Amino acid sequence: MSDAKSPIVMIDRRVTLKWLAGAMAVGQLAACGDQAKGLTWPEVAAIKAQGIGVDPDLINPVVPWPLTMTQVELAAAAKLADLILPAEGDAPAPSKVGVPAFINEWVSAPYPDQHEDRKLIIPGLAWLDSESKTRNGVVFANADVGAQKLILDDIAFKDKVKPGLELPAQFFNRMRVLTLGAYFTTREGWADIGYIGNQPGTGDYAGPTPEAAAHIKGVIEAMGLTYTPA
Amino acid sequence: MTPDEPHDAVVVGSGAGGAMAAWVLTKAGASVLMLEAGRDYHPDEAAMLNMAMDAPLRGVGTPDKEFGFYDATVDGGWQMPGEPYTMSEGSEFMWWRSRMLGGRTNHWARNSFRMGEYDFKPQTRDGLGVDWPIEYKDLAPFYDRVEKMIGVYGTNTGLENHPSSGPGVLQPPPKFRVWETFLKAGGDAINIPVVPARRAILTKKIDERSPCYWASGCGRGCGIGAAFQTTTSLIPWAKATGKLTLATGAMVYEVVLDASGKATGVRYIDKATGAHKEAKGRVVIIAASTGETARILLNSKPNGRAEGVSNSSGQVGRNLMDTVGSSVNAYFPNLEGRPRYNEDGAMGLHAYIPFWDYKGVKDGTAGTPRGYHVEIGGSFGDPGMGVGSGLDGYGASLRSDVKRRYGSRINFTQRGEMIPNAKSFCEIDTNTKDKFGIPVLKFSFAWSEHELNQVTHFQKNMKALIDKLGGTLAAEPAEPTKAISKGGEIIHEVGTARMGKDAKDSVVNQYGKSWDVDNLYLTDGSVFVSKAHKNPTLSIMALAMRSSESIAARLRKGEL
Repeated sequence: MSDAKSPIVMIDRRVTLKWLAGAMAVGQLAACGDQAKGLTWPEVAAIKAQGIGVDPDLINPVVPWPLTMTQVELAAAAKLADLILPAEGDAPAPSKVGVPAFINEWVSAPYPDQHEDRKLIIPGLAWLDSESKTRNGVVFANADVGAQKLILDDIAFKDKVKPGLELPAQFFNRMRVLTLGAYFTTREGWADIGYIGNQPGTGDYAGPTPEAAAHIKGVIEAMGLTYTPA
Repeated sequence: MTPDEPHDAVVVGSGAGGAMAAWVLTKAGASVLMLEAGRDYHPDEAAMLNMAMDAPLRGVGTPDKEFGFYDATVDGGWQMPGEPYTMSEGSEFMWWRSRMLGGRTNHWARNSFRMGEYDFKPQTRDGLGVDWPIEYKDLAPFYDRVEKMIGVYGTNTGLENHPSSGPGVLQPPPKFRVWETFLKAGGDAINIPVVPARRAILTKKIDERSPCYWASGCGRGCGIGAAFQTTTSLIPWAKATGKLTLATGAMVYEVVLDASGKATGVRYIDKATGAHKEAKGRVVIIAASTGETARILLNSKPNGRAEGVSNSSGQVGRNLMDTVGSSVNAYFPNLEGRPRYNEDGAMGLHAYIPFWDYKGVKDGTAGTPRGYHVEIGGSFGDPGMGVGSGLDGYGASLRSDVKRRYGSRINFTQRGEMIPNAKSFCEIDTNTKDKFGIPVLKFSFAWSEHELNQVTHFQKNMKALIDKLGGTLAAEPAEPTKAISKGGEIIHEVGTARMGKDAKDSVVNQYGKSWDVDNLYLTDGSVFVSKAHKNPTLSIMALAMRSSESIAARLRKGEL
């Protein structure tokens, strides 16, 4: 959190969650270079750090493990997340709502599931830069959008993965899942997808709005079935 | 009183069965010492309105908090450091423990379905398993009283083997949400009932407990007291009588008998100091959960009896059952793009599918002797980390795919009856001790063809329902041997000290009283004779109330 001005590490929308002060650590993995290309990626050591614990403070939660991604990795992750889900209308880009910081929190966590993602994502981000350097002469974040998309087109569609790029495709899939999950659990993501819950109320549960009820009545009757009002 | 003083009753456990016993007995004027292995707890600790965005890793499950960051369970889960359990070769069993005041009532789904007439007489109906020593009508008044006391929403559907509650007992259920209304339309067309669920959640205020405010996942624990748990009800009520002494961090490991064979109390380890202590009472009530209760009985070796306490029948640890679980997921294009509104509701079932095919069971066309119900999930919820799973590509089309798909997926979850079998039991693993030095449990478990055939029935019928509504399966369900849950995974384990009519083949009588030890009672799921598809907690409480009133009467008469 030393660089609070950077949109990449900023996490201004999450009011409750605190990271350990000074938790930003130096990345543990050097860039993989050209050898990262192809079918095998270097081993990524598991994180050994304090976890949440079996009895954490639920109201004042803390992420106790150090964050491990480098600025270079965060820049690549931010660019990739924003290509996965570009800003649209009022809906901001993932890098504006803390998604790269969340990816950092995730791949730095000392748990088996997150380690599986770390093994794909840290080398995957290095691969993106290396692939971009080979194709475009610059790292992924600095390539132009057209050149970035040409790389993604080789790894982003499950039936059209370029032979030999199966590992980068796996990496991309996990980045997509994490980006979408992180994004749509923010207030901006809720506004975009239309989640309007977590609103305590009094009295009976209101149930469907007249508009929602009329809509499902129409759907059900169009199928030749019988609608029963809630 | 202090834990060192003799009480009228020593109760081991503070979950559904233990807390009910403590409340009934303290209300009747008896002094009760409640021993809980975990720490003190109240759901004021729950972060009720924090969301995924406020939690580490967006709240997903981790080895530290297996059901997610916000799950009420503390110091528990499938695995606990220093407190292992083992399995016999070829067996898989999962044992969820909640070492905390209130036990698993702090996080249960609150689904509260009564067992019916058929469920008490399974052997009479189909020759399998064993009958209960009581009939539905023996327990019906206690179901009414428990439902009224804890607060259960639902309706009387009048469906076969799904008994009605008495007049004025149930609270009104919340309205169906759009996707539940949609499912009902499909179910109505092919004679699969979709009816209001029954859950231990207030929709009307009772005493100091507020009605549901239509937010906050119930598994977090409910600080406003709307979702029933013993830590906001039975335990504070028992405390208010002035007759309850509570000792937390008290790990009970054996029942103590005197030379005449009467129980004098239990021994436990005070976890704070490591000291071994003895708690004394005129009556001993064990409700430590079916696994832990069996473990305590089997680890007790008074007067050199190798088989343990209350085990002259050899049935302690046998007849271990869990609920049959499997699931099917589908997308419904007809639900895509529907108008948004707040679908949080009661944060769980408003509707469910009770078992309906009793005719098929009778004439053999069902292919399975026992039923199940289906718990259904959908809704516009907090999208969560799974919102992008299964999607392809990137860019604007991906954003529109996520939004189109939101709220159009429904999960169908089977919750079915298991028939007790000789391969499913727990015993003491003489080679393994926990960090307290107490020998641990070793589980053996196997499903039979009956449960596997039941999964087939479920899959076939849910596919018919999905088809009728134009849905597409998220994935073709696996074959039953792979689709079925692991033993224990549904956390409905019961049966390790069953009740019966005869001391030869049961551990306790119909009041939970040990056949061998006149002042030793069990009031948890261990006493179940069968595991109907109905979730066990409500029945545990009804049985515990019945047993505890019997104990109170005997205390009054000086029999104990």
